[in-house]
Amino acid sequence: MSVKGAKGETYLPESGLSIAVFPVENLSGSTAPLRVVRESLIGELRAKGFRILEEEALEKFMVRNRIRYASGIDDTTARALRKETGAEAVLITSVELYSDAIPPKVAISSRLVSTGEAPVILWADGVGMAGDDAPGILGLGLIEDPSFLLKKTLGTLVSSLERYSAKTEKQTHEKIDKKFEPRISYRSPALAPDRKYTVAVIPFFNLSNRKNAGEVMVLQFIRNLQRSESFNVIEPGLIRKAFLTLRMIIEEGLSMADANILFASLNADVIITGKVVAYQDYEGSYGKPKVDFSVQFIGKETQKVLWSSVSHNEGDDGVFFFDWGRVNTAHAMASHMVMAVANTIEKRQGGK
Amino acid sequence: MEFMQCGARKLLFLIVICLVGCSTPPDAYHDQNMDFGAIQTIAVMPLANFTRENLAAERVRDVFITKLLSTGALYVLPVGEVAKGIAKADLTAPTTPSPEEVVKLGGLIKVQAVITGAVKEYGEARASTAAANVISVSLQMVETQTGKIVWSASSTMGGISTSDRLFGGGGQPMEKVTEKAVNDLIRKLFK
Repeated sequence: MSVKGAKGETYLPESGLSIAVFPVENLSGSTAPLRVVRESLIGELRAKGFRILEEEALEKFMVRNRIRYASGIDDTTARALRKETGAEAVLITSVELYSDAIPPKVAISSRLVSTGEAPVILWADGVGMAGDDAPGILGLGLIEDPSFLLKKTLGTLVSSLERYSAKTEKQTHEKIDKKFEPRISYRSPALAPDRKYTVAVIPFFNLSNRKNAGEVMVLQFIRNLQRSESFNVIEPGLIRKAFLTLRMIIEEGLSMADANILFASLNADVIITGKVVAYQDYEGSYGKPKVDFSVQFIGKETQKVLWSSVSHNEGDDGVFFFDWGRVNTAHAMASHMVMAVANTIEKRQGGK
Repeated sequence: MEFMQCGARKLLFLIVICLVGCSTPPDAYHDQNMDFGAIQTIAVMPLANFTRENLAAERVRDVFITKLLSTGALYVLPVGEVAKGIAKADLTAPTTPSPEEVVKLGGLIKVQAVITGAVKEYGEARASTAAANVISVSLQMVETQTGKIVWSASSTMGGISTSDRLFGGGGQPMEKVTEKAVNDLIRKLFK
């Protein structure tokens, strides 16, 4: 049974967790309509019946606690948010790509983190869409309106959250095309098959021309490892707090001494670090995205590298007929590539 | 009969000379006195970059480390650990350490050998209307007890082929060419 809002819009009755929707982070490296994204997201969430913390209450909380960083949440802020506002979870969203050149492109990722004593990532997903993803016959499926594409993207994202919330579908790994698998990989025999590892994904080194590519890759790994039964991912806000508290600056790579400090501080079993060499999108109809990264998993018990891989793909890899299989956004491609890394690790763990 | 025997010997001599002339010189050096089985852990130093591509050395180093790890034959220290060792050892030129510096570094980061080297070519090579990606890398392994070079090899891959010249095509992607060169170097290491 639906409910009509003040402006005539339709909502489902509120249920479930009370969610605080944090300000949207801009990782696109260019301008993006963050306020519009946030308002549309809140609108979609309300329409699906989610309980959203009132804007005034959230603003007052953020001012009172001097919160400027909204791309993650640490334990202090999570405790305060639960105590002062009653919000049981916080939705942290990032815009990774926004291009309104025709055909438009949008990529947004989001995660739901619990508040209270120890923030835990409950759900994470991301959607990357281009207006020409499915043009169809005579281009009838081509989307040229950026606001329509944005609405479609947010709708897909919120549907994923709805499925998690209703527990109708456990987030699992999809089967990924072989072309997205790492080009070179090493898996240590010490990576135990039946064990669930607590992992901390630290910011990747960005060697590409794309601003914030390191942070974007972190979100990709969080999202895709969160779905795995082999990994329990630590909220990035806690990692950021650890770096600030320890005054840790990593310039050329993670040394074992730094890793051991982080293992102790975060109570992690594995630290994931890496480099992004290329993370390119393109504007307009012509071009292809390119993603190139390397990643290493460093283990606490073994004090050694447990996994190392190099991955690189372009949007038209393996495409021969009528753009079938073409990927139009770096977000979608990176998602496939990271999922392929996770699948490869699990596949070898399971001995399949 | 004697004439025929003399002719046969001359012909044989000519064949041997031709075969020797066609043979390729050895493309890798292995110190015959070195027990390579004793090397369990190595460090790959930052590579010198003589190309116009800023990321060339970093890229090759990354690919080489992962490929070497994937052989399972030895363990390669993470680059962060190597960087920490370089800072501790106070190396002024990490891409070209002296034998004494290698010995010092080996003691600090507990490795039996270090890999040094240079990327000499990385990127597009052009010849009139044809273009293709090319890479040229040379590496050396220096053992950390004495600071001696115990292995050295180089590899050049990619470039403009006959079909590129005739039909165009741009050659193979840089990443593929890099992997080929790294595979070649590792093959030469374990030969």
